[in-house]
Amino acid sequence: MTKIAATAVLVTLLTAARPAWAADQLVLIVSADSKVEQLDSLEVRKLFLGLTVTQNGDRLRPVLDEADARVKEIFLQNIVSMSDTTYDRSLLRLALIQGQIKPIAYKDIALLLKAVESDPTAVSYVWAKDVAHDSRIKILRVLWYD
Amino acid sequence: MPHFSLREILLCIALSLPWAGSAFAQHEHSSSDFEVFVAAEAFHGTRQTHREDADPWIDADVVFGTTKHQFRVFGEYYITPGERDLERFQMGFEFVPETVLWIGRFHQPASAWNTEHHHGQYLQTDITRPYIERWEDEHGLIPQHITGALFESRHTLGRDGAVQVSGGVGAAPAVADRELDAIDLIGANPGRHRLSVTGRLAYLPQYVGASSLGLLFGHDDLSVSSARTLASLHSKAAKLSIYGAYIDWMADPWRIVAANYYVDIALTEANRNESLMSGYLQIERQLPGRFTIFGRVEDSARMQESRYVALFDDADGDIETALRRQALGVRWDYTRRQALTFELSHIVSLTQTSNELRAQWSAAIP
Repeated sequence: MTKIAATAVLVTLLTAARPAWAADQLVLIVSADSKVEQLDSLEVRKLFLGLTVTQNGDRLRPVLDEADARVKEIFLQNIVSMSDTTYDRSLLRLALIQGQIKPIAYKDIALLLKAVESDPTAVSYVWAKDVAHDSRIKILRVLWYD
Repeated sequence: MPHFSLREILLCIALSLPWAGSAFAQHEHSSSDFEVFVAAEAFHGTRQTHREDADPWIDADVVFGTTKHQFRVFGEYYITPGERDLERFQMGFEFVPETVLWIGRFHQPASAWNTEHHHGQYLQTDITRPYIERWEDEHGLIPQHITGALFESRHTLGRDGAVQVSGGVGAAPAVADRELDAIDLIGANPGRHRLSVTGRLAYLPQYVGASSLGLLFGHDDLSVSSARTLASLHSKAAKLSIYGAYIDWMADPWRIVAANYYVDIALTEANRNESLMSGYLQIERQLPGRFTIFGRVEDSARMQESRYVALFDDADGDIETALRRQALGVRWDYTRRQALTFELSHIVSLTQTSNELRAQWSAAIP
């Protein structure tokens, strides 16, 4: 009985001490080598809609996280505020009007993190837990949390 | 079946190089992309009306772009069974974000419709474009392809809005036999191209949105390069001054597109001036199930009296220039990047009245 009570207390304490990143949080990330320190919501929206966003003279490169259907849903609702179809048409429209380059999409989170890590101009978004102890990646801010 | 020239093959190879290298160019911060817009169309017309130059049974519009640092290269290559044209080829330098100076062949910014839809059918809700917005090789009245310099800039206005300025200067098309003849980047050019100056000033309620309204201006000095045209026009040149206003507004589930142009035509040696007006209003509404219904009304004034307009009509059964048109249609985006569209039009042209029915499949690849 004492053992069970002790275990319950331990579990409660561990739960309480669970770091913030372990919760459902979508974070904006760049490479640890990136000079980018912050991007506001409008800049993030412009970037992922295919418009030009620069910082410190570098043109930033958006990278889409399509590894998880829920991440994509949150991205469409909270970052670009569009349906999937409207977002796709918006990117096609910019490609047709002025040859803008579509963001690169990754369906594998390891490949996405590798791409962001190796390019100081890349900007993406992932679950916080995927980059919690990753020294190669810099978290700019929380975009969404549950 | 048209043959491909060595120059075209070399051009295709040159254009494909950036993509071949893109996989290895990540650290040089360059990126490239391309899209292909394809469409297939069926047509039925009453009276003697038959399929026109503007209605190829199949077409493909290849759009490609590459960016490296502040430099951009962009092109649009349009292919039909009877036509292959490098419609746009622009090399640009982006001074600051969304401020670009382009050099090359571009679509003049004073067209409300063409600067939005270009040659890509899939992103155009309807099948046909308004007559006043037609391309030169479809017997369009207003020059659309200019070779020279294009400046485009967008600036924040207020909290969310933006103001967009575009200005183009370059070589205008010449007036050939029944159509305008723009500079061809691939084929032969007989010359005789004079100055074109065009511009647009637009307000965007959202910097990142697609809605806008604005003013349009164009001045085109067109030389006459055909003996038949010279005999009809009694002038070696026509100077077009175009003043217009447009709106392209989206408020889900509605979209309104409207434009009106006043065109002044000065025939330099005939000591005679003409003018005409042409405009259109298109309303679209999205419905459940990815359906969109649309209707468009086009109207004009003083076209029948214009010698310049008469140049473009060859009485071969096609309708080159419409005085009025009413169009009604429905589009179904039945799957990702593919759509089926049906459009019914009633047209009053310079010489006849007819009804037309079109069905189109359009898609964007990949």
